[in-house]
Amino acid sequence: MAGNYSSTVIIITTNMLIDLSIFTLPFMQRALIGGIIIAALLAYYGIFAMLRRSSFFGDAIAHSSLTGVALGVLLGVPTLIAAIVYAMAVSFFIPILKKKSNLPTDSLLGIILPFSMALGVILLSVIPGYQPELISFLFGNILGISWNNIYLMAAVTAILIVCIFFFQKKLLNISFDSDYATILGIKVNLIDTLYHVSLAVSIVLGIQLVGIVLVNALLIIPAATARIFARSLKSMFVLAPIFSVSAAVVGLFASYYLNFPSGPMIAVTSGLVFLLAILWKNL
Amino acid sequence: MKHILEVKNVSVQYPYAVESAIEQISFSLKPETITALIGPNGSGKSTLIKAILGLIPYKGTILLDGKPIENSYKEIGYVPQRFSFDTTFPITVSEFISLVVENRSGDVHEVLKQVRMEGKAHSLLSQLSGGQLQRVLLARAIVNNPGILILDEPEAGVDVGGEQTFYTLLEQMVKEKKITVLIATHELDIVYTFAEDVLCLNRVLVCSGPPKQTLNKEMFTELYGRELQFYGHHHHD
Repeated sequence: MAGNYSSTVIIITTNMLIDLSIFTLPFMQRALIGGIIIAALLAYYGIFAMLRRSSFFGDAIAHSSLTGVALGVLLGVPTLIAAIVYAMAVSFFIPILKKKSNLPTDSLLGIILPFSMALGVILLSVIPGYQPELISFLFGNILGISWNNIYLMAAVTAILIVCIFFFQKKLLNISFDSDYATILGIKVNLIDTLYHVSLAVSIVLGIQLVGIVLVNALLIIPAATARIFARSLKSMFVLAPIFSVSAAVVGLFASYYLNFPSGPMIAVTSGLVFLLAILWKNL
Repeated sequence: MKHILEVKNVSVQYPYAVESAIEQISFSLKPETITALIGPNGSGKSTLIKAILGLIPYKGTILLDGKPIENSYKEIGYVPQRFSFDTTFPITVSEFISLVVENRSGDVHEVLKQVRMEGKAHSLLSQLSGGQLQRVLLARAIVNNPGILILDEPEAGVDVGGEQTFYTLLEQMVKEKKITVLIATHELDIVYTFAEDVLCLNRVLVCSGPPKQTLNKEMFTELYGRELQFYGHHHHD
């Protein structure tokens, strides 16, 4: 009996050694680091997106950024930079359009998403030949992330975290009750714009991991899962990044061994964690 | 310090609306008392409150202690009509109030004690009843020690017992903290019991003054229309 037990331990240990060895591969290292950074960042923004009931914003910005990608290809500018600039511009103009059109935000996003995505497809269609950027942006290419991309992600994330730390209380006030935030003297429009622009940047960074179609999985699902367990706002801010990073790591790991595409695998893992959380809570 | 709120010739016209929501409203609040604001649905009570709070553009002048109110919104505490935010989001009572605390003058524990909610500091907002939530909103409104407190139909969604507790607390607070209160309400009982003055609004200011002298059958008919059946109010001093 004791002998059987020992051999089981050895088998588990050996498997773990084999499993961990994949992270000695440079592309897996980059994928893991990039995945952890962006998953944590998006989960953080997801809390605000959920609080503001604006889950659709991330989807709209992600799809819109395709025009940025196309412009980048056409103008010979790095596509990531072009997508970030375009997404920032769209998120900046949404409040202005809202004011001018008197339409609710979700209606505006419903207009911007198909318009901007279709424009991106049209622009890409005028470029002859195969467009690897298009596929890569649609479904993500976490295994193709370069060290330069990682440095950019880390730098942008560091800047965003500093900004968020400075504005977090004001942003929470606005997200909970914008009228009360106005009475408190908080510059609601300014901070709202900063939030939307920085969210747009985070979303475009996340597109590299899981793609335009699936980026909302990292934005919304971890926050939704955290909400099931959280007993305070503080715990939301701890749990959401934990669920998000876990989904990124496990999804990446599973995609390697099961030979499935990494982006969708991360999104599926995130969704499964959410479903398990629901089951756990209701058992 | 006594705070004096003066509203002079205030009108609000919403975009695309045919007529103004409120027109040429003028009054001043008696310091350290409760003034009730009554009127039928759509009479402009919430609009007037939003104008005072600087949440919507208006024509006219609103002064706090003789100065334009624009720089003094922090002197005002506000309890909204409805919970415009997601009360099911995981946030504790204590965290919710801490969000608006501006400096060390705001003591969350102390303010929860004042609204008799100290035992619920670590409860989630989603676990509270309508009356308890309303008291949390009152605590949020007074945590920064405002001179003026404005409440927009705080009894909405609160049962009778909760309503009574809420108003008793409010009256106590006016006496202890020397706050000036403006409260929009549909509850005439509340007006007679707690308010020193009443403002009757129906787009224009129909009447103002102490409730017992001001509110009579003719005034109710003018304010609420012919359909309203008037029942005599028996007020016991």
